Amino acid sequence: MSIVAHLPRRVLSLTEEEAASPPVMELTGRRRATSEERTVAETIYAEFRADPRHREFVLGCLNCGECTTGCPAARFYDFSPREMLQIAQNGDATTLWDAMQEKIWACCQCYTCNMRCRFGNDIAGIISVMRELSVIHGLESTRKVLAPFGRSLTLLMTVGTQVSSDMIQPDFFRDWGPFATGSDKVWDVGTDVMRRAIPSDVLHTTRSSWEVSVQTSLELFRIYEETGVLDMLRGLDPDLTEMLVDIIEERREEFEEARDRFRTELAGMHGPVATFMG
Amino acid sequence: MLSASEIRKVVEERTQRQKGTGKKVVDVREEMEHLEAKGEIIIHRIRPENRPVSASTLFGWTKRIPTDRLWHHKSCGQCGNIPGYPASLLWLMNETGRSYLNEPHQTSCTAWNYHGTATSNPVALAAVAARNFHRAYETDHFPLIHCGTSYGDYKEMRKLLVENATVRTKVRDVLRGMGRELVLPEEIVHYSEWVHAMTPELLARQKHSVRGIVATVHEPCHYYKMVPEDAVYDENVYAGQRPAVPSGILMSLGATVADYSTWYDCCGFGFRHILSEREFSRSFANLRKIRPMVDEAHSDVAITSDTGCVTTLDKSQWIGKAHGQPYMLPVLADVQFAALALGAHPYKIAQVHWHAASAEALMTKMGIDWSTAKAEFREYLKALKNGQAPELLHPAHPEIETYFAVNKGQVLPEEAPATAPAEIVANGGGGHPR
Repeated sequence: MSIVAHLPRRVLSLTEEEAASPPVMELTGRRRATSEERTVAETIYAEFRADPRHREFVLGCLNCGECTTGCPAARFYDFSPREMLQIAQNGDATTLWDAMQEKIWACCQCYTCNMRCRFGNDIAGIISVMRELSVIHGLESTRKVLAPFGRSLTLLMTVGTQVSSDMIQPDFFRDWGPFATGSDKVWDVGTDVMRRAIPSDVLHTTRSSWEVSVQTSLELFRIYEETGVLDMLRGLDPDLTEMLVDIIEERREEFEEARDRFRTELAGMHGPVATFMG
Repeated sequence: MLSASEIRKVVEERTQRQKGTGKKVVDVREEMEHLEAKGEIIIHRIRPENRPVSASTLFGWTKRIPTDRLWHHKSCGQCGNIPGYPASLLWLMNETGRSYLNEPHQTSCTAWNYHGTATSNPVALAAVAARNFHRAYETDHFPLIHCGTSYGDYKEMRKLLVENATVRTKVRDVLRGMGRELVLPEEIVHYSEWVHAMTPELLARQKHSVRGIVATVHEPCHYYKMVPEDAVYDENVYAGQRPAVPSGILMSLGATVADYSTWYDCCGFGFRHILSEREFSRSFANLRKIRPMVDEAHSDVAITSDTGCVTTLDKSQWIGKAHGQPYMLPVLADVQFAALALGAHPYKIAQVHWHAASAEALMTKMGIDWSTAKAEFREYLKALKNGQAPELLHPAHPEIETYFAVNKGQVLPEEAPATAPAEIVANGGGGHPR
């Protein structure tokens, strides 16, 4: 008897019920997009192709692979700048959608691919455009990738710096060892004293990279409000956005109180301070 | 990939060929002149008070590097976790009698966040850049950029604001709403270009010989891979085939700059990765950068000139022990190394204690008595803990500046002597640390 006779019998065609509800996985092993996802994918694709940066950044591809051979991310991830460029150039809504789920976040944004590209493509730039769209549309995969960034985004949006010494602490940066975090275990004093030992007063704060004046902070937030960044973030994390609005409201109050306190010194002031104080 | 000299040849040929047609290889600075003539922008020009020094760029263009009356555009990563980096730069400026403002009315460029999370857009990035540019302009101090990414980003944003009228209009409107104008600096200047321009003056003050020190250089990607035409190259450094900074200052000080096979690779910072996927950053840093620096070049120290690069190359090494990679090669910024060679205090100024890989063996080789300095620093920390006022490189800011960006910056005109650079004297809090 042939070995084929021992194989289990299988249905070679789908029943009507199965055809109405296709399997979650496609034959390629890729998860099949839902109809909602397909709609979003089509929208993203249209926005991507319409972005004025697309025609500036994507110029062509020789398929030489110089970009990928020099790419740091390609050494450690299933990622290739050549693939990203070719998706940007010739891909469709599905391939773009797939790349945006994970691969775009492997890029190190080092611009090595740009420097090596004989066509002059801005590959790092077009990946940034894909990333922006994934944030704007609040993709679930993007939420997961950016979940650890709540603290640094809070700093960035409210004072315009990315890190603070009270953030870089041994509990969160264990792999950096005891010396790199201003830990009191090494010098027997707290982070506040370690910061005061830096010979510039603007660096003495532990809550930001440097002390940012309240006016500067408010001007920055105004930029975010007026250029759509706040709305972008609202789509990704509404709770975080509301918290940021509250923090800025407190800073506004602080600014108003200070204006009363320093009224005499500020009298006759001109330029941005006067404008800003209305 | 074309070599630097081949690139220069192409640019020159193209410029010559296109002269008769009215088209040219675009130098953004020329376009800025046209825009200013039309009243669209203000150019923040380098003036004689800025004591400029000329340098050559990748394209063979001349770039003027201001060396005095500077506005420090600090780096968030440097100030946050490697503060000896900016402190060393300020110290070198004090030593060479340069005046500056180091004030709280500045945001970062916010490009670390953009490259890491994309939660921004070009108009916002350009507006942030322009707000900082205008702040420098109204204080009459020329911006000096501390970070490679800020430098790359600001070059991109300046180009965007020149080339894209829509972005320019939007940014101008945003700025007007806060009483500011659209100002673009004549040059975007990285601090290591200041070091390059100041080399003769720095050498005149060198106290410790660095002969016998083998240094490997990591060239920060965003210094020369973003808007590459603007990076400084010098025929005397790698025959003009690699950027002149920071290799030039090391060679001038007398160190041996050793080559290694992966010099062109990035450091592994990745913007997003260094915060949320550090297993990538440390693997790349240790395997692709630190290991070749040690195994191939027998390096005593790795030198670089950017925030993310110092952070990644240095701080990734401690955990290397767990992976059988116990290199612990000291990693310093060029200005920290130069400040040490000029006699800066290793802990009070260069703040080497914030680094993961110890610099003590290196300092011994440089003839620096770090052990005494370390004991002094311990005493200083105790004194600070007990309420002593800190030693500062410039006067402390009055409380009003916590809130308002007063127009003349750190030192109000009526407080500053007309002749001396009052910004750089030590305040009454404890003198001038060395």
